[in-house]
Amino acid sequence: YTFEFHTATALPVYMQQTSQPAATVAAVKTTGNTWQTFKKPGTMQGKTQKPKAPPKPQQLHYCDVCKISCAGPQTYREHLEGQKHKKKEAAAKAGPTPSRHGASLRCELCDVTCTGADAYAAHIRGAKHQKVVKLHQKLGKPIPSTDPVVVGGTTKTSTTTAGATVGAKTTTSGAAATTGTLTAADGKKDDLKDDLLDLKEKDVEPVGQEYIEEIKNEEGKVISFNCKLCECRFNDPNAKEMHMKGRRHRLQYKKKVNPELVVEVKPSLRQRKVQEEKLRRQQPGLHQLREEMWRRREEERLLEEEERWYWEERRRYEEECEYLDWCRRYPRGPPGPPPMMPPGMPRPPFMPGMPPMMPMRRPDSSDDRHVLAKHAEIYPKEEELGAIQKIVSNTEKALKMVSDYLAEVDAPKEQQVKPKAKKEKEDDSKGEDDKKDGEKKEDGPPRMLKGVMRVGILAKGLLLRGDTNVQLVVLCGDKPTRTLLDRVADNLPKQLAVVAMEDKYDIQRVVEEAALVVQNIGEQRISVNVTLTSPIMREQLLHDGDSQVIAAKDPPDVLDKQKCLDALAALRHAKWFQARANGLQSCVMVIRILRDLCQRVPTWGPLNSWAMELMCEKVIASAGQHLSPGDALRRVFEALASGLLLPGSPGLLDPCEKDPIDAASPLSAQEREDITASAQHALRLIAFRQIHKVLGMDPIPPPKFQRGGRFTRKRRRDNSTGEGNDSEGGDGKKDKKEDGEDSKMDMDKETK
Amino acid sequence: MVMTRGRGRGMRGGMMRPMGPGPHFGPKMKQFVPRLPFDMVLCESAFPRVKPAPDESAFTQALLKRNADLSPTPAEQAAVLNLVTKIQAVMDNLIVDPGNFDACVSSQIEEVRQVGSYKKGTMMTGHNVADIVVILKTLPTKEAVEALGKKVCDDLRSQEPQEVLVLTMLPNDRGFEISNSEATVRVLVTTIHQNLRKLDPELHLDQKILQSHLAAIRHSRWFEENAHHSTIKVLIRLLRDLRGRFEGFEPLSPWMLDLLAHYAILNNPSRQALPINSAFRRCLQLLAAGLFLPGSAGISDPCEGGNIRVHTAMTLEQQDLVCLTAQTLLRVLSHGGYKQILGLEGNSSIASEMSVWDGVVVSALEKAYEKPPERPPQDDDTDNMDADDDPMETTDN
Repeated sequence: YTFEFHTATALPVYMQQTSQPAATVAAVKTTGNTWQTFKKPGTMQGKTQKPKAPPKPQQLHYCDVCKISCAGPQTYREHLEGQKHKKKEAAAKAGPTPSRHGASLRCELCDVTCTGADAYAAHIRGAKHQKVVKLHQKLGKPIPSTDPVVVGGTTKTSTTTAGATVGAKTTTSGAAATTGTLTAADGKKDDLKDDLLDLKEKDVEPVGQEYIEEIKNEEGKVISFNCKLCECRFNDPNAKEMHMKGRRHRLQYKKKVNPELVVEVKPSLRQRKVQEEKLRRQQPGLHQLREEMWRRREEERLLEEEERWYWEERRRYEEECEYLDWCRRYPRGPPGPPPMMPPGMPRPPFMPGMPPMMPMRRPDSSDDRHVLAKHAEIYPKEEELGAIQKIVSNTEKALKMVSDYLAEVDAPKEQQVKPKAKKEKEDDSKGEDDKKDGEKKEDGPPRMLKGVMRVGILAKGLLLRGDTNVQLVVLCGDKPTRTLLDRVADNLPKQLAVVAMEDKYDIQRVVEEAALVVQNIGEQRISVNVTLTSPIMREQLLHDGDSQVIAAKDPPDVLDKQKCLDALAALRHAKWFQARANGLQSCVMVIRILRDLCQRVPTWGPLNSWAMELMCEKVIASAGQHLSPGDALRRVFEALASGLLLPGSPGLLDPCEKDPIDAASPLSAQEREDITASAQHALRLIAFRQIHKVLGMDPIPPPKFQRGGRFTRKRRRDNSTGEGNDSEGGDGKKDKKEDGEDSKMDMDKETK
Repeated sequence: MVMTRGRGRGMRGGMMRPMGPGPHFGPKMKQFVPRLPFDMVLCESAFPRVKPAPDESAFTQALLKRNADLSPTPAEQAAVLNLVTKIQAVMDNLIVDPGNFDACVSSQIEEVRQVGSYKKGTMMTGHNVADIVVILKTLPTKEAVEALGKKVCDDLRSQEPQEVLVLTMLPNDRGFEISNSEATVRVLVTTIHQNLRKLDPELHLDQKILQSHLAAIRHSRWFEENAHHSTIKVLIRLLRDLRGRFEGFEPLSPWMLDLLAHYAILNNPSRQALPINSAFRRCLQLLAAGLFLPGSAGISDPCEGGNIRVHTAMTLEQQDLVCLTAQTLLRVLSHGGYKQILGLEGNSSIASEMSVWDGVVVSALEKAYEKPPERPPQDDDTDNMDADDDPMETTDN
C-alpha cells in the first residue's frame, strides 16, 4: 500500500543520509515487516486498529490517521466524527498534496511536510513530534527513521519506500540521492533543479545576527527575540536560527544592510509561468515580456517607496508631536493612573516587555524637558516638510520618466549589441533575483538610469527647520558621463513640466559635482541635488586587481570619480541609518540636536555629519539600556569628554567601507582637541543643570501645576516646609528635585 | 495618599542617597536611577579599533618608574614595621592583662587593628606613618585617650630604655601619635558600636571621627579581600601622588582613590586586571566622563549599606573641580604629556593653564558650577533650578 500510495501520487521518496541514533535504526530494522502495516491503515482501518492496539492494561484509543491517542472510547468516537479527522482522512486518501514550493521534507511519522531542513529539524525537536514518538513507543508501533523524506514537485519517478531506504541507508547519501533524482527526472530537469535550489536555500549562512535583539525578562533570562530588520518577534532560539536563514529575513537584510547579499530566488507564480513559457517556446519574444515585467516592477517599487517614505515621515512627525504634546500637557505624568504612553499611541503589540518608541517609562527629568523643547524648536514645520516632499517626489517622478525616455531612445540601437546573451542565460537558471540592483542578470538592454534614491538628511529624517538642500542619487547602469548628465539635464525640464504643471523649476548642471540641481522657483527656495553614480564605480575599486584594465576602457567624459563614490557611500549611509539608528530610542532625536549644535557652534562645525551619526548610534546603543533623550544626550557628551575623538582612542570604524577607515578622519588634531574640550565643559554644564546653555536656549522653569488639580494645594504647603531639607550634600541634581519630581513619585506609587 | 506623599517628602529631604545603582532595581525604584557614564572599557565591542593601539611601552615604563620612586625604601619599611610591632605588642598586653591598665585609667581595649595605607601596602616614601585603630569597650573620654597614650608610651620606654629620648607621644582629636626618629604610628581611637549613641560631645571624642575610624577597619578588611592585586596598589600610589601634585584632585579622599583604582582595574568585561597604563588612563577617562558628577551612579561604597555613592561626600563645587582637572589632564595625556602628568617633568600648571603639545593647543577648562543666587550659604549645593521655585513658593503662601 505504501508503495502505491506514493506511486499513485507520483511522489519520489528519497532518504537523506543523516546521523541517526542507533536505537532507532534497530527498532526500525526489527520491525521491518510491520513498517508496511504501519503505513497501511490509512483511512478506514482506524477502528479495526483499536482492539489490536492495547497490549498493555491501559486501553489506548489510537487514531492512526491523525496519529493521536484519545482519552476514552467516547472521545475517540467523537474524534472520528470530527472535522479534523475527516479532513485528514480525505487528505490521506488523496495522498499528500504537492507542496507549493515544489520540494520539501516530510516527516513520515507525523505526516507533516516541512519546507526546509531547518523547519524539519525544528519539527523533529518539537513537542508534537516527540509526543507521537512516545505514543508509538507505548503502542509498540514502529518508528520510522527521523531522516526526512524529500518530496519533489511533480516529477514521476520510481519510488522507494522509506523502509527500504532505511535498509539501504548506509549506501545512500544526500549527494547520491540528488544525482539519482536528476537522472530519474529527465523530463523535468529544470524544474527539479529549481526544487533542489529551494532546499539548498536552507543551507545558507545565517545573516544579520546583530539585528536580532534578545529580550530579557527581569532576571536577565532571554525570553524572546526581536528581529529589528523584519520587525518580528519569536521565542524559540531555533526559530531564531531559521529566521536568520529565511528568505524574508535575507531580503530585508539585503534591502537594509548589505545590498550585495545574494538571496536565492523563489520564483513567484508569475515568474514560474514565465519560465515555463520560456521552456515551452524558447522564443526570443520572451525577453520583451520580461522587459515589460521589470518595468512594471520598478514602477511599483518607486511608488511603494514613495508612499513608505511619506508615511514614515508622517508617522515620525505625529509620534513626536504627540509625545511633545503629551509632555506639555502632563508635565509630571497624566493625572490618575498614568498611561505609559500618550493616548492614541498604541503600544507596539509585539513587544509587551519593552518600552515603546518614545521614552514613556520614567517621567522626564529637567534635561529631558529641555531636550524635547529644543527638539520641537528645531524640527521642521509641517509646511516645510510638505514643500520638500513635493519637490522631491516631483523630481523623482520626472527622473523616472527621463529614464523611460532614455531607454526608449536607446532601445533599437542597444538591441543589436547583445554579445552577453549567452552568459545571461546561465544566470537565468539561478533565477532572476532582485532586478533592482542585480542588473547584470537583466536580459534586455540595460537602462541607463536604473533608479533614484534618497540619501543624506532626507533619507535619514534629519531635516531641521530651515534646511533647504536635499540629496537624491541616481544609479546608472554604466559609469555616468558628462554626456549622460547633459541628456538628463536636457530632458528633465520637459518631464518636470509634465509631472508638475503648475510649478516652475530651475535646473542647473554642476558637472564637477557629477550632479544637477533642481530648484523650485518661489518664495521658499528648495534645492534638490541629484548626483549621478553607478555601482560599477565601486566594483572596480573593490576588485582593484584588474582596475587598470577597466580604467582604460572608461569613457573619456566620465564624471568625477570621487563624487560618484561619495554618492554611493551616501547611499550606504542611508541604509545603515535606517537599519541601526532609526529604531534606537532617543538616537535620532539626539542626532538632530547635535546637527543643530554643529551648525550653531563653530567649534563643532568640523565634525562631519556621518561621523557624528555613527558616534551617536554607537554611544547610545552601547548603553545597553533604553535612554531618555536627556540621558542619551548626556551620554554622548560623556563619550566625547572621555576622549572618544582624541588621539589613541579606537576611532569610529566606518561600517560602510570595506577597509578600516575612521569616519572622523577628516578632523585635525586641534579640531578633535577643541571638540573634546567643548564636550567636557558641556557635560559639566549638563550635570550642574545648565543644559540650556549647551542647547542654546532659555532655561525652562520647572513645571508648575496650576491645572494639575489634586495635589496642588498640599504640594505647596509641603514644599514650603520641606525646602530647608534641600541642602542635602552634593547628591546630584536629581536629588534636589524641583517641584515636579515629588508628584511624579506619587504617580509612581499610585500605579503600584 | 497621605502616606505616599509623606514618603515623597522624605525623599526630598535627602533620602535619595540610598537609591544607588543597585544591580537589580525593580520597577519600584524607577524614580531616580543614576546611570553610569560612558566607559570605553565596558563597551569596547561597540568600538572596534580602526588602527592598532599605539605603542605605550614608554608610558608604562614611566608609570612603573614613578611607582618605584614613590614606594618606601626598605629602611623605611623596616622602621615602621618595627614601631608598629612594638606598639601592637604593648596593646595586646593591655588586652590580655587589663587589670593593671584598668586601675590607672579606667578604660578597656576591645580590639586593636592595623588599617590604612600601611595595612594595604600602599604607603608612599617620605610619609612613614602607619595607622592603628583601637576600639575601646568604654567611652572614649579625652582624658582616657591621653592616659592610654601615656601608658603605651611608658610601656614602650620600659621595654627599650635606650629609646626613651627619641620616643614622643602627641595626643590629638583622633587619638594620639607615637613617633620615633624614623617612623610614626597614628593610634586612632574609637569605641564599640553600642557606645556611639551615648557620646557626649563635651566629654568624648567627636562621633564623626569615631565612626570614620570604624569605617577604616571595614575599608581595610574590604581591601584585603578584594583589592590585593598588586596593579591596584601601584595605581593607588600613582593616584595619591597625582592628588598631591594637582590641586584639583584635593577633594578626592584616599578611600575614593582606593575604590577608583579597584574599579578601573577590575571592573571590565573580562574581569582580568587591566594593565597599569590602561588603568591609569581609564581613571582619568572615568573622572572626565563624569563618574563623580551629579546624576552619575559613581561608585557605591561597598562598606556602607544602602548604596551610598562615594563621590557625594564632595560638595558640588568640588565635584566640578575634580572633573575638570581630570578632563584637562586627559587631553594632555592623549597628546603625549604623560611625563608632566606623572611629575617626571614640568609642573602642575598644565592643569590650570594653556599648554602646547606637538602644535596642538590644549586649553584649561572653566568651572561649570554656579552657586545659586539668593540662597543661604549652607545651601550651596542646591542649584538655580530650585531658586526658580522660590517665587512660586513665596507668592502662594
